[in-house]
Amino acid sequence: MQQREEKQLEASVDLLISRVAHLKNALNNFIYKLENEFERLAWPSVLDNFALVSGQLNTINKLLRNEKTPSFRNQVIIPLELSPDRDDELAKLTEQRVPVFSHEIVPDHLRTKPDPEVEEMEKQLSAEAARLGPEAAQKQIQTLNKLCSNLLEKLNNPREDRDPESSAIRQSKPSFNPTDTLALVGAVAFGKGLSKCRPPGPGAPGQGPMMGGGPTLQQVTIGGASGQPGKMPSSIKTNIKSASGSMHPYNR
Amino acid sequence: MEAPPVSVMPVTGGSINMMEYLLQGSVLDQALESLLHRLRGLCDNMEPETFTDHELVYLLKGQQGNPFILRARHSLSHPAAPWHLRYLGQPEVGDKGRQHALVRNCLDVSASHSLPDVLNEMGFRMDHEFVANGHVFRRGALKVVVSKLSRVLVPGNTENTERLSLSYLVELSVLAPAGQDTVSEDMRSFAEQLKPLVHLEKIDPSKQRH
Repeated sequence: MQQREEKQLEASVDLLISRVAHLKNALNNFIYKLENEFERLAWPSVLDNFALVSGQLNTINKLLRNEKTPSFRNQVIIPLELSPDRDDELAKLTEQRVPVFSHEIVPDHLRTKPDPEVEEMEKQLSAEAARLGPEAAQKQIQTLNKLCSNLLEKLNNPREDRDPESSAIRQSKPSFNPTDTLALVGAVAFGKGLSKCRPPGPGAPGQGPMMGGGPTLQQVTIGGASGQPGKMPSSIKTNIKSASGSMHPYNR
Repeated sequence: MEAPPVSVMPVTGGSINMMEYLLQGSVLDQALESLLHRLRGLCDNMEPETFTDHELVYLLKGQQGNPFILRARHSLSHPAAPWHLRYLGQPEVGDKGRQHALVRNCLDVSASHSLPDVLNEMGFRMDHEFVANGHVFRRGALKVVVSKLSRVLVPGNTENTERLSLSYLVELSVLAPAGQDTVSEDMRSFAEQLKPLVHLEKIDPSKQRH
């Protein structure tokens, strides 16, 4: 029985040590980043670091709450020997943070009760709580609960009538008109409504490009190119030859 | 006669085939300000760029019926800048990687101010023209153009224009070499960020024709 408990204790302590080491590394990296790369640091990556630290704290908490973990409260650490001399092994173990196992470090590292200042504050708070009568305390609890539930409701159910101005704008003024989109795209793509032959608007798209193309048929000779506009370059050369033959553009 | 300085993009035999990926939408005048604010936040932090361009679309009609289209564009706000000539091919169909955006083969060159005359001599006829003015935003390779289109009432006279509609045209485009599949995914996720102000989608112009 004893051995099992001891083994459990050892295993959980080891696990705790490794989790805390992860946390320490994460904090180290974060501090390094803040100190050296703060110019390039963006808020999302800071948030990521915080999230990482919080996740690791969560894991540690879960580990401590685990049923298999024996209650550490029942264990007591008593320093058997204190010396003001430097202890190299301890220094190595703690990465130079605790070089001497002496009277100064014991109150900080082996503390089980809260710090004296914290203890004072806690005493004050509990005295105040005791002074407050039970009915007043109940009323305060109820108000707090009501406030929290209101806030939660507002956050979870976005209601349109909460903000009358923005909801009115959203409903009555759509910011784009799909017919306008099609009209504009038609105008840019093939001159819908733009031809110089003056169709009244997008109503007569077919006539516009055709009428503009009429005069060109007489002047252009196509050298057997396919219908795809992409393969037209050969026909252009043909045109140039025919034009220079008849029009003498260059007088020199 | 001294030739004006012209910057021409070298088009040699082994050039990369550039494709234009396009998503289009529109926004009503009332919502323009909110759209511009959002774009200023989402896009690269530069001075907001406005432009006023006059675009002429030239057609070369063949016997087969599918005309060859070239688009010539010049800036009305920077009259000394060279003209810009663009060819856009037929929309690519069917590729699983590119279905989110309209993909077309695209060729862009700069040209001198004699471009309209040259095109006329070559046999092109101007089919239609319009004036576009608005704002340009960039985000990496993505380009967002919010423009107000106006029709030119008297051909050649760009002072006398009439607005085409009460909306602004919003176009999201990327120029990329052929074969990149991630482009349309990036465009789609950017387009999501502009909803519900603008609904950017792939509008196939050939389906709208009649």
